[in-house]
Amino acid sequence: MIRVQRDNPKLTRREVLTAGSAVLLAGCGIQQRPIVPSRVSIVKAPAYDQSLYGTVMGLVREHLGDSVRGKRILLKPNLVEFEPDTSINTHPMIVHAAFEAFHALGAASVRIAEGPGHRRNTLDLADAAGYFRTVPRFEESFVDLNLDDVTRVHPLTQFSRIRKLYLPNSVLGADLLVSLPKMKTHHWVGATLSMKNLFGTVPGGIYGWPKNVLHWAGIDESIADLHGAYPRQFAIVDGIVGMEGNGPIQGTPKKAGVLVAGRDPAAVDATCCRIMKIDPMQVQYLRLVAGKGDAHITEHNIQQMGESIESVATPFELIPQFQNLRLESA
Amino acid sequence: MSVGILLGKQNRDGGWAYVRGASWTEPTVYAVLALLAAGEDAAANRGLDWIRARQLPDGGWPPQTGVDESNWVTGLAALLPPDRLGALAHGRAIEWLLRTTGEESTAIFRLRRWLLGNSPSRIEPTGWPWVRGTAAWVTPTSIAVMALDKESTRSLSKEVRTRVASGRQFLIEHMCVNGGWNHGSVRVYGVDGVPYPETTGVGLAAIRGVRSPATERAVSVAQGFLKDCRSADALNWLRVGLLAHGQLPADYNPPPIAYRTLIETSVGMLVAETQKGRGIFWCSGEEIGGAA
Repeated sequence: MIRVQRDNPKLTRREVLTAGSAVLLAGCGIQQRPIVPSRVSIVKAPAYDQSLYGTVMGLVREHLGDSVRGKRILLKPNLVEFEPDTSINTHPMIVHAAFEAFHALGAASVRIAEGPGHRRNTLDLADAAGYFRTVPRFEESFVDLNLDDVTRVHPLTQFSRIRKLYLPNSVLGADLLVSLPKMKTHHWVGATLSMKNLFGTVPGGIYGWPKNVLHWAGIDESIADLHGAYPRQFAIVDGIVGMEGNGPIQGTPKKAGVLVAGRDPAAVDATCCRIMKIDPMQVQYLRLVAGKGDAHITEHNIQQMGESIESVATPFELIPQFQNLRLESA
Repeated sequence: MSVGILLGKQNRDGGWAYVRGASWTEPTVYAVLALLAAGEDAAANRGLDWIRARQLPDGGWPPQTGVDESNWVTGLAALLPPDRLGALAHGRAIEWLLRTTGEESTAIFRLRRWLLGNSPSRIEPTGWPWVRGTAAWVTPTSIAVMALDKESTRSLSKEVRTRVASGRQFLIEHMCVNGGWNHGSVRVYGVDGVPYPETTGVGLAAIRGVRSPATERAVSVAQGFLKDCRSADALNWLRVGLLAHGQLPADYNPPPIAYRTLIETSVGMLVAETQKGRGIFWCSGEEIGGAA
């Protein structure tokens, strides 16, 4: 059951300050653009068990409802490495639960797609990660984005040096791209969540393994540009067991026991950061997209639903160079 | 059986897709090599026509029709026998390979490092990138080294031999600490990188003939992978790599695993031909589709 977090009619200090700012700006003759908060759900999910199917269905129905009917859905999990018994890859049960939910809500098609950045043999990687065992007829539903046909696009935003990019037709042709990442810390950018997960949509068949062109263009900037390339997104972050420390591969499993979902990936990622006790305002790619005004990462621009951040927050260990990302309140 | 799969999946334009859809250069080159080895000249020739038609003015190949830049697949195309691809097209591919380096080896990048005061104490060996403007990595370097090494048996070019030697040194210096290769990072996210089976196989094939403790470590890692690996792609390349050093156990039989992709099918056929002593990834005995 998803509930709105704040139903107390009393004004909070933040709301008073926000209202005061609006009055001040109006008094100065500056017209403030009305902001529609992004809705982000946090639900507790203690384990990878059958209850996930109902939980994920609830999230999809809550945020997307009937809009799913007749749409082409592309699910994008995060598959990175073969190591068993680690928390590197998105758990296959999350992916299968989303697959079932979108089908049940009347989607015209649901495909699962990924283009790993390190290893070329994607199907073997999916097999090792348990996808063949968990998703019936997995291979029929799967698209290897590294090997998909491509179309040249010019990113709508220009944070990086990338002026053109070849992207997979399966992603560009989807009515909704559903990012299904793992909640992890990241050695280069601090945290890898639904936006960083989009690196897997850049085709290795064009750019190689690893997708070094994104590194040369700036990792944070490339994440922001990819975010701008896909206007219709939904995200469900697998935070049941995430990864802390030296993520996204060599870190250690971290149980957070949550799923975080919403239609604005930046707002979802900012909420995940707060759950991880990371300050999203210090994560460069989040600041980039927030600066364009089309994504919400400040708390007062996010309508938190379900559990409160405080009730599920658990500090994820950070490597020394990212200690400055720690939320001051942590 | 495998030939039938390749014939059945050939696109009407003569090329092959990775999975389905438009033709790509990489699966088309591997399929053509496999069909040439199998003596299926008609289908191979249609594939060769597709490949020749896609060569870009700079002498290289794009990964797919519609992509306007040449990339690492040029090394694959240069593995094709020159008398089947066409001597002119093949020669231009070799020239492209000789002009191409990882971005870290370009004069501009070296000047920038020098100006910033962090020049290396020596000239570092030169490898090949997946795409121009980025760093060199193990797989594109290995493929380019194999293509140029084959070329060195046909030409007296000192430049070709120099790039082969430098490419091999690049591979040895990008080997993981305990042997073998991943994609090319000795350190990954701040810790020692671990090798992958498929890149260890391709790297070993490229350093064929290099006798060194590093080679021995890589052979040992590959033989270890061979026992446990269940990926057709990885097992194909491990066998190629070990065959290059005469270290594939004579009694080795691959486990019963499914070939899931067209490239796995093609390279699987090429492994079998390599085991017979035919020259595909290096010059040895009878070169497929061409003169002995």
